[in-house]
Amino acid sequence: MVQLHNVFMSYQRDVAALNGINLTIPKGDFVFITGVSGAGKSTLLKLLYGALQPSRGQVVVDGQNVTRLSRAQIPYLRRNIGVVFQDFKLLPNRTVLENVAITLEVLGWGKKDIGKKVYHILKQLGLEHKINSTPLRLSGGEQQRVALARALVNDPKILLADEPTGNLDEENKEQILAIFKEANIRGTTVLVATHDRRLTENCHRRMVVLEKGQVVEDSDVPQ
Amino acid sequence: MSRNKPAKRPRLTNEGFLGRLNFFFARALINIRQNIFIHLVTIGTIAIALLIISLFLLVYVNLEGAADVWSNRVQVTAYFERELNQQEITTLKTGILALSGTDKVAYVAREEAVKRFRARLKGQESLLDGVTADVLPASIEINLKSGSRSSEAIEAYVVRLKKIPGISEVQYGEEWVKRFTAFMNFMRLVGALLGGFLLLAVVFIVSNTIKLTIYARKDELELLSLVGATRFFIKAPFLIEGIFQGALGALLSLLVLTACYFGFLHNAGNFVSFNPASVGLSFLPVTHLAGVFFGGVCLGFLGSLTSLKRFINV
Repeated sequence: MVQLHNVFMSYQRDVAALNGINLTIPKGDFVFITGVSGAGKSTLLKLLYGALQPSRGQVVVDGQNVTRLSRAQIPYLRRNIGVVFQDFKLLPNRTVLENVAITLEVLGWGKKDIGKKVYHILKQLGLEHKINSTPLRLSGGEQQRVALARALVNDPKILLADEPTGNLDEENKEQILAIFKEANIRGTTVLVATHDRRLTENCHRRMVVLEKGQVVEDSDVPQ
Repeated sequence: MSRNKPAKRPRLTNEGFLGRLNFFFARALINIRQNIFIHLVTIGTIAIALLIISLFLLVYVNLEGAADVWSNRVQVTAYFERELNQQEITTLKTGILALSGTDKVAYVAREEAVKRFRARLKGQESLLDGVTADVLPASIEINLKSGSRSSEAIEAYVVRLKKIPGISEVQYGEEWVKRFTAFMNFMRLVGALLGGFLLLAVVFIVSNTIKLTIYARKDELELLSLVGATRFFIKAPFLIEGIFQGALGALLSLLVLTACYFGFLHNAGNFVSFNPASVGLSFLPVTHLAGVFFGGVCLGFLGSLTSLKRFINV
């Protein structure tokens, strides 16, 4: 599902954010990308959804070589990838329904179908009663669940999460982790970038450790 | 729990050109409602900017109108030593009217010339006692069309006029025409410079206001690109919003301009010692009003387009 071949990435000359990464993540895998701040976790995820292009090397996602995609092709790649962030990136002046519906509007879904599908995913995540609330009226955990609903509503092949529990308490972390696991069980390949050791320790999954832009450990923990 | 199946293709209501257009319009209207303050600020800025341009145009159009009235005084006169008979007059008039740039032609007989002279000497008519009509020559007075009243155009006209048989002595107040043409050229240059600077300032202010309003919504742009929206999908509602802002701003500016103009006309007598109607003040012609409106629409559209380019990095 995801392959990185000898990937180098630098924002400035002489400072490598990624330094010769080789990584293969099969379809349906659940992987934690860990490492200290600045290790290259976010950069790696950005390469996967085409927000950045590597300085060198090849990035293959869902059979498509991202480095060879034109700017016009990138949106179609992203329609198969759900992305969540630490800061949720919800639109404060839109309701939960409208925030989640964006993903389906982009795909050209009809209004009725959007309503049904959004309600369904919100119900799965225990947020159906908040459908008409605006994000500012929600707790941090709820906001992150809305962001997850937005990322998962179109059943993406890959889910990328960049420090998804960074702003959450332990209880909410558990909830979010459970959603990741469930998405993974349904067939979505999940990549979670985090420096939260407790999160990775509680969930025995494959863990790729980055340090100074290099993979220093790749532990394939049996599930 | 079941594994992911290929998603069932849902009904696409915004398929096809009209469906998409309908969706983008609906999205734009919802965006306006949800970001009403930002839109009001932009519409207000566009309205003020276009009001400044419209006021400038109004002054310019009226000055041009006044200049056209003054230039009506430009008259080419051909003199004749003897009185012409009716056939000669007709032949000459036909020849002169055939010249491009001729507006009106009138024959002034000697008797008529003396009458006019006498009228000018009102109160001192006695000076002309004993003077016969033979003293003044007969003449043909030619009024020129407004496009042919510049110094160069008149010179060229006179050359062509003199080629008509029977016309030799021609006068047209050469000095006055030259000075008037120079003055008008200067006024037009100042107007163009002033108008150009105003336009630049307006474009700069409006485009920066739009840029700031789009910057305020950059999270929305980022999010749309993140969920796989194409550049066109992201831009379309913003461009429609831009057109809407431009059109509303332009309409507002024209409304205020109309109110100011007619308010001035109505009250001018109270604080200015002239009657605006008598000096030929006029409102902007429909073509100019339409120009301001479409200028506003273009300003909104292009302002949004250039600003979006900066923030969409899909």
